[in-house]
Order: sequence, then structure tokens, then C-alpha cells
Amino acid sequence: MSARATGSAAFLVPHVSADVERKASPLEGEVVALFDLYRDRLLRYLLTFGLAIPDSEEVIQEVFLSLFQHLSQDKSRQNLKGWLFRVAHNLALKRRSHVQRRLKMSGEIDLNHIEAIDPMPSPEDEVVNNQTRRRLFAVFQALPELDRRCLSLRAEGLRYREIAEVLKISLGAVSISLVRSLERLSRAAER
Amino acid sequence: MIGMPYRESHPADEQLLLFLDGEAGSRRSGEIRTHLEQCWECRARLHQFEDTIDAFLRQRELETSLPPSDGPRALLKAQLSQLAGDQQARPSAFVWAVAGVACAVFFSALLLVRSTNHASQTRTQSAIVSIPNSTLTPGTALLENQRVLCSQVSANNKAVPVPLQKKVFEEYGIAGADPRAYEVDYLVTPALGGTEDIHNLWPHSYSAAMWNARVKDALEDRLHEMVCDGSLDLHEAQQEIATDWISAYKKYFRTDKPLPEHSNHRQE
Repeated sequence: MSARATGSAAFLVPHVSADVERKASPLEGEVVALFDLYRDRLLRYLLTFGLAIPDSEEVIQEVFLSLFQHLSQDKSRQNLKGWLFRVAHNLALKRRSHVQRRLKMSGEIDLNHIEAIDPMPSPEDEVVNNQTRRRLFAVFQALPELDRRCLSLRAEGLRYREIAEVLKISLGAVSISLVRSLERLSRAAER
Repeated sequence: MIGMPYRESHPADEQLLLFLDGEAGSRRSGEIRTHLEQCWECRARLHQFEDTIDAFLRQRELETSLPPSDGPRALLKAQLSQLAGDQQARPSAFVWAVAGVACAVFFSALLLVRSTNHASQTRTQSAIVSIPNSTLTPGTALLENQRVLCSQVSANNKAVPVPLQKKVFEEYGIAGADPRAYEVDYLVTPALGGTEDIHNLWPHSYSAAMWNARVKDALEDRLHEMVCDGSLDLHEAQQEIATDWISAYKKYFRTDKPLPEHSNHRQE
């Protein structure tokens, strides 16, 4: 779903009727606890794909439903944080190409263009005086896609190995990308 | 400045960042720490990294104010509950084995029939769908008010564009099925504010024995009437039809099975 296409359309939360109400299993509780821990971090990361917030929220729902199935099949519990970002990354790529196809069909602008737009203009934008912050934001938006994702994943606390796994690049490439991004941001901050 | 050329004895920027992020390894970290104790230049570079990271994090926090998580959290809990319920309701291994044999017999018979019927060879997939997959089709609706909705002249569902219909078939894994056997149906009908969104569309079988698309059409008409005469809240109607349309039908028509006039509600 594209937020731009559907305006105020909202998801309907299915309610469980009294006769089928059941107690949540420990596994459901665990997945919800992980949602509480990682939802904001995943959402910030997904916004770097140029996805609108409702699309990103849907991807996150898919991620945690997949996590539930993953854990209920007794699959590996090692590094669930890395697993979450990896699955979110793959689903976001899929969702983005899906949204792009739909926008193309309906003649709307595509996401490559949307990526250059501030995804969440803050109220401060009205009275902004903070030129440094605006410059940093502009530089961040202008970074190559890989660098932007690398930096975002690092900012969300992922280790280099985890970033490499999510983005399917080498450890060396992670480190080069981070330095490149920091150099550009540093120049923007100094100006 | 970061990126300036340095003498060979200075660690490269990458090495400094690895050190800063605790990724350099213990031996290399020790060497860099010793170097930093002696070298003001590299310490300044290190601080510059930290200042840039700090500035980046602050601007990111201001730029990306996130919406509250209450709604998505509630949706996740409901979906997990449904998923867990579905898993518990799965049949035992024995039932699976019996079902497997039955399927094998059925498909063998089907193949035999198809080998004599060339026209049907292109229809490779089909399924009888009475209930939407809640993950693929949770339902989406505009939060319209009742007065606006009921003042609209035509409450009929408009035809879903063919490319979108194809996409719905693909998502449900029946891309090769005969489209005439299904109505690509709105889970929440536009007459109740439902949107033309893939998350609100699903392939509803005409051929389902009981709970087919015609029966749901009758429910949609009933709910629309009730919303417009003020006896049912619009949001409640949206929720009920999105959550479990069959239960809603039973409730509003006070019956356990479709009324005969609804089973033949519309001609194919």
C-alpha cells in the first residue's frame, strides 16, 4: 500500500471475539517484546528506502510475523537483532519495487524521486535556523544508497559483521562505506 | 580534517573508526591506543569522528519523528493471536497422511480428466477461497463519516482493474486459475468505506458450496443499509466485515447457513 495513494486509509485491527479469546502464548509475548525493542529502529531504517511510513509499518508487521514462524519452528535464536534487520531489508526491497510498479501504473512519481524528499518534515522546519542540521540532512540524503543504509544500520547499533550480512557486502566494504559517509558529513558540519 | 593525507605511521581513518567502534581486534586496538596517547593529531581526528557521529544522530532524531507504536503493536498482537490459533488448529500427522493420500488420488483423477480435455490444460492452479488470508488481506478502509458515505448515489463496487486483479491472484498463489470462477472481492466493500488496495482485495470463489461471493454481497447490502439507517456504527461494520465476514453474516441474518435467496443472489 502506498500512503500517498490511499490518503487516510487505515488498517483494521482484527478483534478477537469473546468466544474465541485465548491467552497469548509465551512465544507471542516474546515476539511482542522484541517488537517493542526494535520497532522504532527498524522503522527508521526502512525510511531510508524511501518507503512511506504506512508501507514501512506493514513491512515491520511482516517481519515480526515471520519471526514468530521462525521461532515456532525452533529455528536458530542466534543474533535475532541481525535476523530482524536482514529480513526487514529484504522485505523492504521487495515492497519498494512493488510500490514503484504500482506508482508507475497509476502515473505517479516513483520512489527514486520520493527518496530526495524529507520523509517526515518536523515542525521545526517552519522556523528552522539550524543550517548545520539541514546541511547534514541534505548530505545524508545525497549519499549513495548503500552508504546511507550502512550508516543507518550502524546508528541502530548493528556490528560490522551484522551490517555486512544485512547488506550482503564484505566487512571491508562496511568500513570503507562508513568512513566515506563520515567524511562527507564531517565536511558538511564544518562548513 | 577527516580524509587528510597522513604520514604512514598514523592509523588510517578506517582503522581509527574500527577502533572507535570496537571492531579493530584486541592487538590492533592496543597499538592504536598507544599511538593515540602520543599523537595529538590522531586524537583530534578521532574526536572529529565522534563529533560528526553525534551531530548526525541529533539531526536524525529531529528529522525522523516516528508515529506512536500503539496501533501497529495492537495489530501485531491480533495477527499473532490468529496465527497461533491457526497453528494449534492444524491437523495431526495422521490426518495429514490421510489427506495426502486423498490429494494424490484426487490429483491423479484430475490429471486423467485433463489429459482428455485440452482446453483445461492452461488452468494450472485453482482453489476454493471463502475466507481471505488475514496477512495478505487485513482490510483497509477510509475513515469516512456515515453521512458522506450514505449520500453517495452509487454504492456498487466498481470493477477492480485487471492488472490489480492479476496481482491478487498471484498473491494468493492461483495465478493460473480461471478468473471467471472468482470475484476479486473487496473485503471491506467501498459502500462501507473500503479502499481499492491490494490489502483489501481477495479472490472470492463463486463455487464455494456455502460461503461464496454472492452470500457476502448480501451481507454488504445489509450492513450498508444498517449503517445508513443509523442502526450500526460505520467503524463497527468495517471491523466486523474485515475480521470475520461469515460470523457477521450469521449475526445479522440470524442464521447458521446462507439463506437460499442469497446463495442465488446474483447470476454469474
